[in-house]
Amino acid sequence: MKTFVAIKYVPDTSEAEINLDSTGMGVDTSRFSFDINEADNYAVEEAVQIKENHGGSVSVVSIGPQDSEVTIRMALAKGGDNAIRIEDSRIFEHDPLAVAKVLASSIKDQECDLVMTGCMANDDGNMSVGVALAEELGVPHAAMVKQVEVLDGKVRAHRELEGGLMEVVELTLPAVLTIQTGINEPRYAPIKGIRQAKKKELKVMSLDDLGLPADQVDESASKIKLNQMYIPEVEAKAEFIEGEDAEEKAVKLAEVLKKGGLV
Amino acid sequence: MTVRTNLNVRRLVYDSYNEELLEELARLPEVWDCTGCHTCAVRCPKGLKPVEVLYALRQQMVESGKVQPTVRDALESVFLEGNPWGKPRATRFDWMEGLDVKTAEEGEQVEYLFFVCCSIAYDPKLQVVAQNMVKILEKAGVDYAFLGEEEACCASEVQALGEEDLFEEMSEENTELLNKYPAQKIVTLSPHCLSALKKYEGLEAEIIHYTELLAELIEEEKLSWSGEFAKKVVYHDPCYLGKQNDVFDEPRKVLQSVPGIELVEFTRSRERSLCCEGGGGKMWVESESTEERLAETRAKSAGALEAQVIACACPFCILTLDDAVKAVGYEEEMEVLEITEILGKVME
Repeated sequence: MKTFVAIKYVPDTSEAEINLDSTGMGVDTSRFSFDINEADNYAVEEAVQIKENHGGSVSVVSIGPQDSEVTIRMALAKGGDNAIRIEDSRIFEHDPLAVAKVLASSIKDQECDLVMTGCMANDDGNMSVGVALAEELGVPHAAMVKQVEVLDGKVRAHRELEGGLMEVVELTLPAVLTIQTGINEPRYAPIKGIRQAKKKELKVMSLDDLGLPADQVDESASKIKLNQMYIPEVEAKAEFIEGEDAEEKAVKLAEVLKKGGLV
Repeated sequence: MTVRTNLNVRRLVYDSYNEELLEELARLPEVWDCTGCHTCAVRCPKGLKPVEVLYALRQQMVESGKVQPTVRDALESVFLEGNPWGKPRATRFDWMEGLDVKTAEEGEQVEYLFFVCCSIAYDPKLQVVAQNMVKILEKAGVDYAFLGEEEACCASEVQALGEEDLFEEMSEENTELLNKYPAQKIVTLSPHCLSALKKYEGLEAEIIHYTELLAELIEEEKLSWSGEFAKKVVYHDPCYLGKQNDVFDEPRKVLQSVPGIELVEFTRSRERSLCCEGGGGKMWVESESTEERLAETRAKSAGALEAQVIACACPFCILTLDDAVKAVGYEEEMEVLEITEILGKVME
């Protein structure tokens, strides 16, 4: 099984204070920490487990700056065999179609059975690069995959739907799967492994190296125009629950939660 | 830590001589129960450090990548951001906001160079330790400097969690960084940093804990207190400060210098101090034991002494004991305070 995993280097915005940058069209990332996108981390683990159980290889692809190489090296330390990092300022990364085109161009001329990526990027939340990538490669896809079974020439994917419902589909290979978090438990990339991974191939490529004309993936090619980013005003709405004791307060709290349809 | 678990250190050391058993031993859950308290080393008649065997067994698991998610996340955070708490490197010195803190200049000699622990730098409950330290140093007129944003984790807990390669990498980087700022002494706020820095090879300055500096300043009458703290206080010896670095008297001297304080002792104090279970990487490893947490045992002992305050000089002890005081229901009548917090109350 020859697998490609597409990963993204994203800021951790879960606890950070978010401010817009001076252009008003982006976020000030100077005080953020960065790491591999959470769902992509699960995709890497799934790819490595498939390689361990069925043989083959794992190639990592990513569009990102030099700083992102650390997360690529971590993916290689976990079991990836080689990697491509694409860096080109002309890529209009706000458009998932442009991102998918770039990723597809790094994969399409190579032998490939399976492509995996996270079902969603924590920073832009588009949930569409993986699906668009399948379209670009002309292969089937399954999204929000929570379990993968490798069959002969096929994969069986268990998709997580709303309300705890699971859907099981079979896809003829090659195929693209977008991986849901929780599908496995991503392993730790030990420093020893990261050091050894420095010997593995990590190609840095531009659009020109990929043979992809910039006017197909730059801002002018996109049908999406970024208008604005803003932080909504916080509405001060807090209710203090009064009561004689904890029991009375708990009863009142339960009523509020029930009324709001939260329990 | 053997009080709560099946951890038989002697047996593990003995069995580890058989190389064929190592893989099996590394998978034993009790390997992760060790809190790095060093009681075994203190009591060993042969002067051995059995804890090193446990850390080596943990190292095998770390190198296989198969560790608990909390351990994985802490180690990755140290590697990527220089702290185990998943916080950005860029916000490490937010605690300085609003304070006029002297920061170190490259190549410029300073008497005391301070090394702030990750927990104190980032945890809103603990930042007061560093903030009060600045105020105390200013009051005493000491020639001091804190490191800038370049400061990174001492890697004490990284080593305890079995990631020896990352410990080596961090210790090399930190040694290079600290040597850029010539100082007579490097002062750590946490006993864990104290222990870790003492293991670094090539540090040019002497390493001390802040209680050693404060005890000296008090002795030389460069520090005194104007306020009063009329409470019954029991001092908890942190394992990394006491058992591991023999610093027992200095924290007590500092506390005794506080007007009004009534200092009492646990039955188990100094070398016999009961571990709070915050060391040995245990902040990121939950024990499978259902026995009472040692920090809760400690809080109950403080309760039996009718202490109003458990004083301590270690960020991990503060966090574990504070949780324990709440868990045993003493929240109303007992406080857990870092020594610098008490000093902050009597300083002005």
